[in-house]
Amino acid sequence: MTIRHHPSNETLIAYTAGTLDLGRRLVVASHVERCAACRGFVHGLEKVAGVMLEDLSPAPMSADALAHMLARIDREPAARAAKSLAAKPLAPAHDEPGLPACLAPYEMGRWRWVGPGVQMRPVLVPETGKLRVFLLKGAPGIHLPQHSHEGSELTSILVGSYHHEGGDFRAGDFEEADADVEHRPIVGKDKACICLVALEGQLKLSGFIGSLLNPFVRL
Amino acid sequence: MAMDGKPLVELDFSQMIAAVARHRDRAAFAALFEHFAPRIKAYLLRAGTDGTLADELAQEAMLAIWRKADSFDPARATAATWIFAIARNLRIDRFRKEWRDVSVGDDMPEIVDETAAPDDSLSDAERGARVREALRQLPPEQIKVIELSFFEEQPHAEIAQTLGIPLGTVKSRIRIAMAKLRDLVGDLS
Repeated sequence: MTIRHHPSNETLIAYTAGTLDLGRRLVVASHVERCAACRGFVHGLEKVAGVMLEDLSPAPMSADALAHMLARIDREPAARAAKSLAAKPLAPAHDEPGLPACLAPYEMGRWRWVGPGVQMRPVLVPETGKLRVFLLKGAPGIHLPQHSHEGSELTSILVGSYHHEGGDFRAGDFEEADADVEHRPIVGKDKACICLVALEGQLKLSGFIGSLLNPFVRL
Repeated sequence: MAMDGKPLVELDFSQMIAAVARHRDRAAFAALFEHFAPRIKAYLLRAGTDGTLADELAQEAMLAIWRKADSFDPARATAATWIFAIARNLRIDRFRKEWRDVSVGDDMPEIVDETAAPDDSLSDAERGARVREALRQLPPEQIKVIELSFFEEQPHAEIAQTLGIPLGTVKSRIRIAMAKLRDLVGDLS
């Protein structure tokens, strides 16, 4: 399987710098998990960040910081506290098989009907303003409702494929769409397509069916 | 003080982290603190954190280094890279605190590339030097845009304002710099 569509450089930099909000970070992480090229790039960027960190002119710490620090580590349990934390199994948050590891800590809502052959399942991340994260599932061959969005949309294709005016997107691929993009994805015929989506603002369905569905779609 | 048969002054930072992991070595930790805490603080200040909080978060980051020292793999990351990731994750968590109480780095996937071949043959300093060497091959104005996006959380539009150049120029500089960096760090990762 060849991954052909990747996050933009800006997105990968923001991901590495830690400046993406949680929802977007999860979607990017789900791609990075399975894309060796992006993993390598992020890895490289972290090295650059490390060097840049070293080269920053130091900002003096408060006078008692080190003493305070040493007193704190003396209070740390001998057996590493973080170890038991890391060993703690993650809450079995969901029953969905084959999900990316980055979703493991998060609970999910129920699958909900969005339209003919289309379902969504919210990932329950703490409120992130106007951003939502959810799984979107389209049945084989289905035309997803034509839509545009108020803000940007990040999509990581987990299973199956879809295509639209912008190209073919398969499992492992990543798509970034701005508010001005209006596309009409068609799910591949062979199997259902499941994506992880971070969406800013409301999804606006267009077309006749879309306008009928809009009141029901609270993505 | 001798650690693993070497006096502290001869240890590089990754060996100091290893000494913290293996021997809970306070002297090695203090040396790491002296070097990295002021840099972590500088990083946080640049990202817009105020002075008192930056000091406090830098201490939190150092505490995380103490706690997580045994998860550091010197074959896969330099000390500075690992510490950057810790400070970054801590900052992410802290600024999400208003709605989410999480411990250090829990919601940030550990970015460790298991497929990358670990390289034991180079020291921490040598690997840092290779990255520096790679960066030297980029023109300063390209370094600048990368720096701004790393440390100051600036979206491209803001970088354009800061530098007084068109957005298109920012984007093309980043694109060119990234293309070169991809080549350069490709060898490094």
